[in-house]
Parts: sequence; structure tokens; C-alpha cells
Amino acid sequence: MHIPDGILPAPVCVAGYAIAGGVTWVALKQIHKTSDPQAELPKAALLAAAFFVGSSLSVPIPPVSVHLVLNGVLGAVLGWYAWPAILIGLLLQAILLGHGGLTTLGVDAVMMGLPALLAGQFFRQRHRFAKALAPKPLLGIFSFLAGAIGVGLSALIFFTLIVFTIPSTLNQGAEQSFLTALMIAHVPLILLEGVFTVLLCFFLMRVKPELLEQ
Amino acid sequence: MACFPSWSNGLQRLGMAAIAIALAPSAAIAHGAHIQARTTTAVEVQAAYDTGEPMAEASVQVFAPDDPQTPVFTGTTDASGRYVFAPTQPGDWEVSVRQAGHGDIAVIPVEADSVIASSFTNDAGLSPLQRVIVAGAVTWGCIGTALFFWRRGKQ
Repeated sequence: MHIPDGILPAPVCVAGYAIAGGVTWVALKQIHKTSDPQAELPKAALLAAAFFVGSSLSVPIPPVSVHLVLNGVLGAVLGWYAWPAILIGLLLQAILLGHGGLTTLGVDAVMMGLPALLAGQFFRQRHRFAKALAPKPLLGIFSFLAGAIGVGLSALIFFTLIVFTIPSTLNQGAEQSFLTALMIAHVPLILLEGVFTVLLCFFLMRVKPELLEQ
Repeated sequence: MACFPSWSNGLQRLGMAAIAIALAPSAAIAHGAHIQARTTTAVEVQAAYDTGEPMAEASVQVFAPDDPQTPVFTGTTDASGRYVFAPTQPGDWEVSVRQAGHGDIAVIPVEADSVIASSFTNDAGLSPLQRVIVAGAVTWGCIGTALFFWRRGKQ
């Protein structure tokens, strides 16, 4: 889902960097507020690795193939730490694997990072419903939705950005039909990432529940 | 007198028809067409996703060296991701291939007689083994970082 160099017009790339800069500042400030900002770093580093590798694991959904994004998982488990983890993951993907590009790094960070933060905030709302539901179904529902929200919102931002910036010199109809096919292919991915988030959260709850305290 | 206006009208129409025939493009009158054939040197590009799958029916835009804004040739790749164009002048030709928000831009240096410069090498991307090594190295780096801060937290 990474947008490579040369697809978006320059003002969009600049705006992406501007928004990404602002969010980085907010995220680092929030992290700095915690009692021990380094305590969460091991977890963030491991999930950054998962995020980096995830983009190389393509899931064939004919006629296209999509790849794991995992930003919902990062948001749910890491909270504000998801932003720097995604930023570093994207930078390494752009430099080492050629996924995305350096001019579009800001746009890609906003596209994947903001939904991750939103998914994280949503996941934290589950404590409000602690009285209404048993712990396991509660965790199951919220982790599924957090995983789905992450990749779903990213896909939505991706398609909006591309649809509104298709150059007039291109065949609009053909480009839009391919975009629609790709968008439909993301629906199974949204479900898949939701299930993956549930499995990871259940696993963490069993082996190290303190990781899910937030 | 009553029929004069209609007679004059008929004359007017005749005159207009004559003018219309005289002004019509010559191609509309000459019904012959000719096709000429000659040999030329062309550049073939082939686009594929990094999964190895060809970018079939992707939009191609070719920009001449002197104008990076308006494409000289536009078209679509075939089922195997190929597209052929004949450069009309030497210089750096830019070829953009994109489909559904994914794609790449290649700069192809073309010398006189439409031949690709010998210094040009294709960017082959990473082989699957290289990908695994890169992913392994990054993962190992992240695990190292995690262990470092985990130990520091314990002390």
C-alpha cells in the first residue's frame, strides 16, 4: 500500500511531511510524559520489526496481491509508540526494500501512522466496557476492531489520495477500475489483520498480560 | 412576385452548397489513403511488481528529454508488462508506468539513432535471497535494540 516516488504531486508530498512532522512532535511529547519512556522500547522495537517484515509478506487475493500492514496491531499494543515504530519501519522499507519512497515518506507515515494511533485510542476505550463484558470477549472484540480500523483507514486514505491525484493525461476510467479492484481486495485483508490482532492479543494475555495493560 | 422569394432562396442555397464544397477539407474529397513502412529503432520497457508479477495493462507515459511535463506517448502495457516506443531524439527519456497507485519511473538515456546508452543498466531490484537477508538483518537489529533496553530496564 506504500505510495512510491513520482505518483503524487509535489504539494501533496510536502503536506505529508508537514503533517508527519507535527504528529511526530505530539507523539514524542506524549511518550515523554510517561514515567519511564524507555520501558516500552523493547516492545516497540520488536513490533517495528514485525511491521518491516509484514510489507514483504504478500497475500494473493486474485486478481491482485496485497501485503500485511499490521499498523492496527502496532497501535493497539504500543499506543503512542506505534508512531515512531512505523516511521522507522517505513524509512527502512523505503531505503532497503524500495517499498514507498523518500519523497512520499511523510505521506506514507500519515497514511499508516495516523490510523495506527486512532486504532490505539479505540483499543484503550475497552476499559469503559469492562463491567458489561467478560475480559476475553471484550479483548477479542476490541482487538479485532482495532486491527481492522488500522488497515481499513489506511486503505481509505490511500484510495482517496490516489483518486484525487490521477493526472489528467492518464486514462481515468482504466485507473479507477484497477483502483476499485485493489480496494475490494483489501476487504479480506482487513478481516485477516483483525483476526491476527485478536490472536496476538490473546497470546499476550496468556503469556504476558502486563503488555496489554494500557 | 409571390414566387420570387422562394426562387431567390433556392439560388442562395445553391451558392452556399458550392462554397461548402469548395471549402471542405481536401481529405474528404480524396478517398485514397497510403501506408508507408520503414524500419526504426525502438525502446522496449517491461514493468513488473516486486513479487515478479508483470504489470499488465498499466498506464505508460513517455516524456521526451526536453519536456518533463507533457507526455509524448501514452499507452498501456501488454499482458507481460511490455511497452514499445520509438524515441525521436537523443537525451534522457523518462518512462512512467503506474497502475492503481503503484508504479515506477525509469530514466532511459538514449543516444543518436535511438540506441540506449551503453552505460545504462537496468535496476533489477532485490532477489528473494537478498530480501530475506535484509529482512533478517533488520529483524536482528530490532531484537538487539529490544534486548538492550530490556536489560537496561532491569538494572
